Amino acid sequence: MGQAVECQFESEVLSAVLQSRWPERVEAGLRAHVEQCAICSDVAAIAGAIDDAREEMRAEARVPDSGHVWWLAQMRARREAAAAAGRPITAAQVIAFGCAMALLGACFGATSAWFQSAFGRIQSLLPSTAALIAGHGVLVLAAAAMVILVPAAVYLAALRD
Amino acid sequence: MFRETTFTDIGRDRALDDASAGFVMDEDAFRAFYDRTARGLWAYLSRVTGDRQLAQDLLQETFYRFLRAAATHTSETHRRNSLYRIATNLARDARRRSLTHAPSSVAGDDIERVPSRQPEGAAEGRADLTRAMSHLKPRERAMLWLAYAEGASHQEIADVLGLRATSLKPMLFRARRRLADLLGRAPEGGKPCR
Repeated sequence: MGQAVECQFESEVLSAVLQSRWPERVEAGLRAHVEQCAICSDVAAIAGAIDDAREEMRAEARVPDSGHVWWLAQMRARREAAAAAGRPITAAQVIAFGCAMALLGACFGATSAWFQSAFGRIQSLLPSTAALIAGHGVLVLAAAAMVILVPAAVYLAALRD
Repeated sequence: MFRETTFTDIGRDRALDDASAGFVMDEDAFRAFYDRTARGLWAYLSRVTGDRQLAQDLLQETFYRFLRAAATHTSETHRRNSLYRIATNLARDARRRSLTHAPSSVAGDDIERVPSRQPEGAAEGRADLTRAMSHLKPRERAMLWLAYAEGASHQEIADVLGLRATSLKPMLFRARRRLADLLGRAPEGGKPCR
């Protein structure tokens, strides 16, 4: 059987201590009980000490003014809202940068004779696009995934910074 | 992930203006609540962390997080318990950080160093309590303070510390026993009455 960890008189003793009635202004029966009960004697011993310390600490406490704390909280909430508002702009910037690069590449490919001749040579060396997709489906999927994942990774890195 | 892809200046200004609209209470209610609880919370944080300056920093952080928490409180006690729960978690995090950076720090030192205007006997008694409490685990300090300084019930203490009420009773018993021993006030031959 385990050791008892609470006593029915515990709260009565605690009340007496916190109301400064302990030990003089309590019934003799309760005093006698506390002498015999380890739980209640511990409560009587430490509750008064802690309560005294609490009163002293509360009196000494130098806490900031409530208006000042409210103002600081508002400033911080605004700062955080501004930071949160900046995040979608960063995402839009990343997407815009990707689109701009794609457009530049397309323009270069369409106008550069050197690129077109090089691309034609490469195309003649490779099998047809349909055959490529049919034969290397996994590879094509991986390449497509890279195209999607790289901007996402860039966005997440920017977010963390 | 992408909260808004188009974000106009008007929308941005509105978001900034509404920064405090997400707070759990308005200014008047907050200031009244703060005035009722700040000193007690500071004393609790000072006692649990053993560092007055840290307690003051954590106090402000606690109230900020309380304001930002999307919680509805059913009563003043519920609100107060939420506040103490946030404070307890912050104190625990601060302790973990300090253990990582400065493992030699001992809780309670700073409280003892602060000069007191109390009579010599009272100051001595408090120094004894501070010294004794510094030998307890932070969770033991927290539960004893909540029980005997804040008058919290077992259920409230369990909620604040994230424990089960049934687990709390033996833990509180052991913490009380240890503190009484450390204060040298353990009774001669006393035994649990039941």
